[in-house]
Amino acid sequence: MDHALTLRSVTKRFGSFTAVDALSLEVPQGCIYGFLGQNGAGKTTTIRMVMSIFHPDSGQISVLGHSDAQQVKDRLGYLPEEKGLYKKMKTAEIVAYFGKLKGMDSKTANLKARALLTRYGLGDWLDKKCEAMSKGMGQKVQVLGSIIHEPELVILDEPFSGLDPVNRDTMRDIILDMKNQGRTVIFSTHGMEQAEQICDYVMMIHKSKLQFAGTLTAVKKGRDLGIQLDYDGDGRALQQLPGAKHVNDHGKSAEIFLQSGQDPQQALRWLVDHVTVKRFDYREPSLHEVFVRTVEEANAKLALAGGER
Amino acid sequence: MANKTLLVAQREFLENVRTKTFWVSIFIVPLLIAAMTGAGALLNKFKQVQRYAVVDLGKDDLRQRAEREFRQGDLSALFKSMSDLKANPELAQLAQTVGPQASGAEPTGEQMLAVYEWYAKQPPEVLARIADLQTSQKFHYVPLAELGLDKQENDVEALRKSLDERVQKGDLFAYVVLGADPVHTLDGFEYISNNLTDVSLRSSYEGALTRIVQKERIRDAQISPKVAKHIQQQVEFAKKQISKTGAREEVKRENEIDKWAPVGFVYFLFIAIMSITSLLLTNTVEEKSNRIIEVLLSSVSPGQLMHGKILGIAGTGLTIVLTWVAFSLLSAYIVPGLMGARGEMLSMIFAALKNSNYLIAFVFYFLAGDLLYAAILVALGSVCNSLKEAQNLMQPVMMTLFIPLVAMVFVTQEPNGLVAKVLSFIPLFTPFTMMNRAGGPPEVWEYVATSILLVVSIWIAFRAAGKIFRIGVLMTGNPPKLREILTWLREK
Repeated sequence: MDHALTLRSVTKRFGSFTAVDALSLEVPQGCIYGFLGQNGAGKTTTIRMVMSIFHPDSGQISVLGHSDAQQVKDRLGYLPEEKGLYKKMKTAEIVAYFGKLKGMDSKTANLKARALLTRYGLGDWLDKKCEAMSKGMGQKVQVLGSIIHEPELVILDEPFSGLDPVNRDTMRDIILDMKNQGRTVIFSTHGMEQAEQICDYVMMIHKSKLQFAGTLTAVKKGRDLGIQLDYDGDGRALQQLPGAKHVNDHGKSAEIFLQSGQDPQQALRWLVDHVTVKRFDYREPSLHEVFVRTVEEANAKLALAGGER
Repeated sequence: MANKTLLVAQREFLENVRTKTFWVSIFIVPLLIAAMTGAGALLNKFKQVQRYAVVDLGKDDLRQRAEREFRQGDLSALFKSMSDLKANPELAQLAQTVGPQASGAEPTGEQMLAVYEWYAKQPPEVLARIADLQTSQKFHYVPLAELGLDKQENDVEALRKSLDERVQKGDLFAYVVLGADPVHTLDGFEYISNNLTDVSLRSSYEGALTRIVQKERIRDAQISPKVAKHIQQQVEFAKKQISKTGAREEVKRENEIDKWAPVGFVYFLFIAIMSITSLLLTNTVEEKSNRIIEVLLSSVSPGQLMHGKILGIAGTGLTIVLTWVAFSLLSAYIVPGLMGARGEMLSMIFAALKNSNYLIAFVFYFLAGDLLYAAILVALGSVCNSLKEAQNLMQPVMMTLFIPLVAMVFVTQEPNGLVAKVLSFIPLFTPFTMMNRAGGPPEVWEYVATSILLVVSIWIAFRAAGKIFRIGVLMTGNPPKLREILTWLREK
């Protein structure tokens, strides 16, 4: 078994609506793989098929070498998009419970639960009821509950949603720790910054079809280099930059793409004259840019092909 | 590695045991019994004393005699209450003369006569002061002098007008007019009150007057009291039944209570099954609405989840039921001793509870009914997204349950009748109806047949529920129509 997860031309329809269309994917062992896509693109459906909650209409799925995830249930960790907890249970108790359901024996589960919660900052909450937790803390408990049994493959559906920066960092640490232990982590997210920070591979689904998949480098290949600019001043001035193909202005920072043949040094000189330049970087486009660009291109293709489904 | 179904069951069970509802349910039984036995007496204590006056149109002081007769019921109460005897020296003395059985046992005819004679010599005012006499506490005779109306005694119309006023104002509960010549005519006896619903005063007084008037008429007709008693004797059947061995034996009060006891069991069966299964329903819906179901399904199969829940919750119910049984057995052995004479009725009730046939049947039918309804309700719960939807789907279930409830008394009266038999063979009703018929008792083949039917239905219900649960539990949106559910059942 080389890959942790393989999908071959997987399709899923709900009535007349195609949620996932001929998706093929390979997730190597021990990597961190990001699933990207707009809301409703098909990420959660794909994940549910991997977990054998839904069954594909066609195609094959291989999870840890098995065609049915149910057979390797205890070696998988899963955190669904809509997350829930038993309100009246205590945190250590519920994390241990999830471990026991995966086959851990009682004693180990109890010890591990307490250790995990303490390690990630919830040591004071071991014996408090889940309903006493804030959203961020609850989400941490949920993630820990899905990994307590040391699964080989972990699938997290939007683990970062609704978290504040500190909690996001903790979540990131949890994921990185898992990778360092040799586990494979798949997570879906809308946070491009997170994905860029930790993913080894990314894939993107748009309206049920795969748009790209591969390492960050591979995915960014062939795309225009862009100027990453942090500045102070009037953003509208940026639009006047001679030779600019398009500008993503985020207010205090911007991503500027030049027409082919234009010299970035020229651009820098012009910018220094028109705004206060705080940082100037000439490099690969950000994942955010890749994402937005891909959506644009895909929609254009669909429009050409004769309109929406 | 523990069985996953058992893990789920264990979690359910522990979570339920920690709730307040669980402990309340366990203690509801003793509370209910205490309340039921005590409530009536307690409520009566809060009633206002009913003040009444008497206008006696006759010349023979019928009033005095009627008063005594009216208060006669207190005598038995006197006899049964040792503390009263101790408190009142005259009574204590009397008790000694009457005999050592004065405490607890039914007084003999002669004892009653002796006490009555003593009683007859006391003015009513003295008797009224003796504490704890039932009628004294409820009915208070007010002499006309106390009302300031003795001056009017000779002007009946004026007197009555004044009394009418007192009744209207509420100062008097009622007043009574005794006819002038009761021996020859019963005209002129009136009871005036504005309270038309509490008739205890009126009927007790009427009864007392009837007895007095009868005695007067007997005397007037010069019939000897002995002959009169002979004439007035009531026919009372000696109740008998045929035992299993074919012998004719006496029917005791305990036997009668024993036959009615199943009603209590059926009632508690209802309470137990209904509360446990509705717990299951809300629990399932909650797990769906707080979205923990999806995580659970990545570790356990829907079948394991469903069976685990039913097991855990049935276990909770069984614990409650067994504590009830233990409690009733305990009190059956302890309480009658504690309560002495007063506890006679109670000890007869507890004796019925001790009946092991009833207890075994209770536990068995609880389990069976619980499993059957649990399967139905967990299937219902799995297709609902909110408690409100669940409650709507519960309506038809509740309506169906009305039937055995309504038939409860009827089935107890005719345990082996047609209605009872028909209801017994409908699996949804079997636990309740067969429990209800336990006094009959039904024949062995009926027990066997209905039990087999019940077990088969439970098996079918579980299979169907499993299929519905599997699919329904991940669905969101409106609950599916019945037709859609039926297609799920056809799938593998």
